[in-house]
Amino acid sequence: MFLTRSEYDRGVNTFSPEGRLFQVEYAIEAIKLGSTTVGIKTPEGVVLGVEKRVQSPLLESNSIEKIMEIDAHLGCAMSGLTADARTMIDHARVTAQNHAFTYDERIKVESVTQAVCDLALRFGESVHDEEAMMSRPFGVALLIAGIDELGPQLFHTDPSGTFIRYEAKAIGSGSEAAQGELQDKWHKQMTLKEAQILALRVLKQVMEEKLDQHNVQLAQVTPSKGFEILDEVGLKAIIEEM
Amino acid sequence: MDYNGGSVIAMLGKDCVAIAADLRLGNQALGISADFQRVFPITDRIYLGLPGLATDVATLYERFRFRVNMYTIKEGREIEPETFAHLVSSTLYERRFGPYFVEPVMAGISRTPTGKIKPFIAATDLIGCLNFAKDFVVAGTASQKLYGVAEGLWEPDLEPEDLFETISQTMLNAVDRDAFSGWGAVVHVITKDKVVTRTLKGRMD
Amino acid sequence: MVSLAQQQPIQQSFNPYTENGGTILAVSGADFSVIAGDTRQSEGYNIQTRYAPKVFKLTDKAVLAVNGFAADGNMFVKKVKQRLEWYRHAHAKDMPIRSIARLIQTMLYARRFFPYYVYNILGGIEEDGTGAVYSFDPVGSYEREACRAAGAAQSLVQPFLDNQIYFKNQTPAPGTSFPQHLPLQTVLALVIDSFTGATERHIEVGDGLEMYVVLSRGSTALQSLQSIRGVQEITATNDGERVFVIRKELKKD
Repeated sequence: MFLTRSEYDRGVNTFSPEGRLFQVEYAIEAIKLGSTTVGIKTPEGVVLGVEKRVQSPLLESNSIEKIMEIDAHLGCAMSGLTADARTMIDHARVTAQNHAFTYDERIKVESVTQAVCDLALRFGESVHDEEAMMSRPFGVALLIAGIDELGPQLFHTDPSGTFIRYEAKAIGSGSEAAQGELQDKWHKQMTLKEAQILALRVLKQVMEEKLDQHNVQLAQVTPSKGFEILDEVGLKAIIEEM
Repeated sequence: MDYNGGSVIAMLGKDCVAIAADLRLGNQALGISADFQRVFPITDRIYLGLPGLATDVATLYERFRFRVNMYTIKEGREIEPETFAHLVSSTLYERRFGPYFVEPVMAGISRTPTGKIKPFIAATDLIGCLNFAKDFVVAGTASQKLYGVAEGLWEPDLEPEDLFETISQTMLNAVDRDAFSGWGAVVHVITKDKVVTRTLKGRMD
Repeated sequence: MVSLAQQQPIQQSFNPYTENGGTILAVSGADFSVIAGDTRQSEGYNIQTRYAPKVFKLTDKAVLAVNGFAADGNMFVKKVKQRLEWYRHAHAKDMPIRSIARLIQTMLYARRFFPYYVYNILGGIEEDGTGAVYSFDPVGSYEREACRAAGAAQSLVQPFLDNQIYFKNQTPAPGTSFPQHLPLQTVLALVIDSFTGATERHIEVGDGLEMYVVLSRGSTALQSLQSIRGVQEITATNDGERVFVIRKELKKD
């Protein structure tokens, strides 16, 4: 029987003859439909920025939650199927709390990222089992920001369960342009303030609407205050400084 | 043995002996008194400590007082510490199968036939088995703790003042780790011509 | 012939625990920690062996002493070591001592209703370079202290340590104060005195003494340690902390 490519499309456990897992690749494609999200690392901390697509004037923009806390020293921004991210962040939070409970210390950024990626790979498990907990790969990418004994760090995870550390990273629909801009403007000795402004500038370039404090969100992780989402007042002040 | 609580220790020094006891009287875990004397002078040079069941402490003290008085009258002289130790032993063994619940500790200075003086300590179990130690003897609810501290602090031929310091530190630190002993202590240092008695303040918990 | 009516039912029982004697002790200094244990292992009045170690090096900054039921103790140390190895693989570093302490609590409490019949004392160097001692009960209650004795002769040794290390019931001379931390030489002398004393008065203590010394990065206690006869270094890494062991004979009667 001749196997068409579409037959390999179906199974999450089946490689195509060219060595590809189509469902995983499609999941990665799904992220490119998501809103633009950026993360920037500086010696003073890590900044996360997201675009909130306000599709209707009746939508309450502060109900869009695309940046979430994992632990006091860990934050996370998402792009793609954000509902999938809830599962992942839930897992990250439990992992972080369990680590603190068992070891009386803050979990490392890489360790919590690894734990999330371990979960991301679970789509392949026991497909014939009625009890299988996942039927498909997650359709979301995360930027995990945090500070541990190795200093400020920023990790990117994708639906394949791969994670890579970045100095600055953009994901989502405008990621190609945004990543190019980050590559031009990022430098090693950036201050946190500069990073906040850069994140907003990058988002502004790729956004269709005019950027204001209602359609973007900024968060940061600093050694002194840990993870915090900036409120609209603070955000407005930075936007005005841009 | 820990119904009323309490502990006693005696130590040998150079031409001196010391005996120390705590002052607690309890009813199980409940503290009743902080000035319960469990060390009694038997003669000018012999002191007897009676840790154990308080009712037996009182009864036995009276019995020993009676027997020592009888000895003094019959013999026409003061009883020697060694003799007194045997008196304690035989008195307790009389009740071999219904014993007094006390573990006596005694300290005194004896005179040898040549007129020299010899410091003396001894202890018995509740049925009168004698233990003539050459360093220290302990008894009571804190006995294990007393052994441990004394083993670390005691050294041979201590002068009276050093012996006082050693026995006091031993007693205080041992009873602080014992729930049934403490609430202050009393120390007697016996030398050939005098007895120095001091009351120590201790933790009241 | 015994009639059936007279026959009594015989109850069989199995006791999963034994007490194997011995004593352990740990004292922390400003930048070092001493963890010691005797090596006698007994069951009742029988000496099973004169050399059964109760003190184990976990990492270059943590040493664990385990006392009580020897089978449980050995298995517990094995499991702790396994968890430390897993942690190293997962997090690419040696577990800090306060984390080991917390891990031991969770491992002990996991067996709340069929406990490891052991008292643990963990000694070593904290992340800030200070000497640390953590002591545990069999179900995981723990605290950080300056010194702790456990085991058969705990009641003999602990009040002695209260007096000599915490200076309990002592008053400093006017205008002076007692040191917060003792130098290594003094600590080693006190540990040896504690064990010779316990050996003298407790039948389950004796035969041999093993004293582990953990020094923090650049500890000044190094000189006084090197002058001791028979000291052996067992450091594994170049992280800065160093571990030594001193073995001594105790009375065998």
